[in-house]
Formats: sequence, structure tokens, C-alpha cells
Amino acid sequence: MLCLLVGVSLLAVGIPVWLIQPFRHQTPQDLEVSYLLRRWSPVGTSILAGFAVFWVLRLWRGSPGILRRGGLSLALVLALLTAWFAQQNHFEWLFRPPAHPEYAPAEEASFLAGEERVLGIELKGEAAAYPIRQMAYHHLVHDRVGGVPLVVTY
Amino acid sequence: MWELTADGRELEFHLAGINNENFIMRDGQTGSWWQQASGQAILGPLKGTKLKRVPHDEVTFATWKREHPATRVLKRDPTTAGKYAAANWEEEVAAYPVVTPRSPREPLKDRDLVVGVEISGASRAYLLSELTDRGPVNDRLGDSPILLMVFEGGRSVRVFERTVEGQALEFFAATGVDSGRIIDTPTGSTWDLTGLAIAGPLSGRRLARLNPLLDYWFDWKTYHPDTDVYRAGR
Repeated sequence: MLCLLVGVSLLAVGIPVWLIQPFRHQTPQDLEVSYLLRRWSPVGTSILAGFAVFWVLRLWRGSPGILRRGGLSLALVLALLTAWFAQQNHFEWLFRPPAHPEYAPAEEASFLAGEERVLGIELKGEAAAYPIRQMAYHHLVHDRVGGVPLVVTY
Repeated sequence: MWELTADGRELEFHLAGINNENFIMRDGQTGSWWQQASGQAILGPLKGTKLKRVPHDEVTFATWKREHPATRVLKRDPTTAGKYAAANWEEEVAAYPVVTPRSPREPLKDRDLVVGVEISGASRAYLLSELTDRGPVNDRLGDSPILLMVFEGGRSVRVFERTVEGQALEFFAATGVDSGRIIDTPTGSTWDLTGLAIAGPLSGRRLARLNPLLDYWFDWKTYHPDTDVYRAGR
């Protein structure tokens, strides 16, 4: 029973990691499955981890051997780890959108060479430039240009 | 480049995954998944909703600064500056594998850079290297006469509609496009690279901007399956 709990948890977080990794061809079904698992695994794996804690506590007394207790500990750690991982956004470990993007006036932007490419936006008289080399890492930057809330993507 | 207001509220986006090398965003309000390339929600409560595109420019910083002296510039984030790509990152990306299905008779190579243009349902890919520093390219896409300019060695790209007051203009370079001036026929007016007529009978007129997408051929084709490919001299 405990193995089943941990197995289901591992699959719930592992399948979307595998399906929507870079350089793999994704079908619409892959995306659908990943979406559902990513949506429900935070709650699902937490509930399963709760059951796992309950089972481990129940079995602990009756399992004096070091091997069995080791196995129980491992199952518990796995269940808690997967529940934690399900709450994380591992894509934003790899590419961190800036939490508080900062801007410099053009004449102070000495970090940027003239031949570097930028994404430029002008709205209602306000102009903003987003260097492509920085955007290729962040991918997402939230901003407000000319009062319009927008997301810059690359 | 998208407006954040959809479905009557302001959304906030996070990275959520990869769909055939184009990333997926998740909004923090409804949890829906959105495709970056199309701005459309593909899964979740807002499925089918489209974000409003914000027109943007893809040019060198020098050009942008010259035309918008008061611009602000996104600073390098000191906590992640070590993760930014090297100056030659485009060469590195060009070597990455491609995973989308392809026909054996693709007109272009997977990672050929194209200028993708879409106007009222018609879409066309222009091979970037073929347009680079060639001067203005006058073309017709669907029913629309359009003008493409690729300058500064392919690092700046602009596309316009070239109809002014019901008349389709043809453009040619004044003295090489990097002079920053183009001239139309039949009026002989002089225009700058922002699409503004600065001398001649049409002085003060402005060409309507189109929003081209600089993209790899495989990715452009994935989101524009009916696209054709421009061939110079056609």
C-alpha cells in the first residue's frame, strides 16, 4: 500500500517533467496530460504524503528491523519530496523571470553595445527596450509602458 | 509581446513548460496554459482566449536609441547575469536539435532564420539572409502591398504596408539602405527607416507598420502551417 502511494506520487510529478522537457516532440495529448497532472499534483501529492505519514507511523512499531525501518524512512522521504517538488516551478529554476526588473536611461546603458539587438516598444509616448540577450534567458518580463500592463516574451 | 488584460482582469504569467521548443506560460489567476508564440490559451479555464498583441520593433540598440532618445533599457539582473548567453549565442542555438515533424521536401532548413509576416490570414516567410542589406523589398502578400527592410547586417528588420491614400507605392534605396533613406515612386518623396516621409509631396505621411516575427523556419511553420516562402526575383 505504501509503495503504491509513493509510486503514484512519483509518477504524478515525473510524467509532466518527462513529457514537456525541451527537445522532445510534444503532442496535444502530452500537453493535456501534463496540464492535468501539474494542476492536481500539488494537492494530490500532499494528500498522498499525509497518508504516507499515517502508514509509516502505523507500521513503525511492528517493524523493529533496521532494513524495514530503513525502507519505511525511504518511502516517507520520497513521499514528502515529491509533494514538495509538485509545489515548485522547476522551469523557473532554469530560467528566472526577474522579480523586480530595473531600467536605466539610454545614455546610462553602457552595458549594452550599439549592435546588440533589442525588442523595442513605444506606447503613448513612452519607449522601452529589452535586450534580446537578456530576454533569451528570462523569457518573461512584466512591465507597464504608457500605462498599459504587458508581458514581454522571447 | 502581449497585453496582460484578458477576460476582464490583469493576468500575471509564469513559465510552465515547453511545447515543441516554444514555451508555455501559466497565468497565476486561473492556471490556464498559454502558448508564447500565438498568445492563445491552449488549456484550462481560459482555453481559446487570445491575448492582444503589442506591436514591437526588433532592431539594434543603436537604431532604437537614435529614434527614441528618451527610451529606458532593461538592466542586467545582477543575480542572474552569469546565466546570460554569450555574444555568439545565436550560433549555439543554431546547432540545437529540432523535434517537430517535417516533410522531406522542406523549402528551407529547420533553423534558417526567417522574417515571418502575417496579414489578414496570409502568411509568408522571407529568408533573412536573402533580404539582408538588399535595400527595400517590395512585395504583395494576400491583397496587401508590403515593404520589407532588413538593415544593419540583418540585425534590424521592419515591415510596412506601402499603400498611402489608396495608392501602392514602390520603394527603392536612396544610396544604400544604411543611408537611412528610401525613395518612393511615383511621387519621389524621401522616407526614413521608421516609415515617415521627410521630404517631397508626401512629406509628413507615415506608412502603417506590420509586426514581423523573426523566427526559425520550423517554428514559424508550426504556427503558420499555410505559409509560403518568398523567393527573390519572383
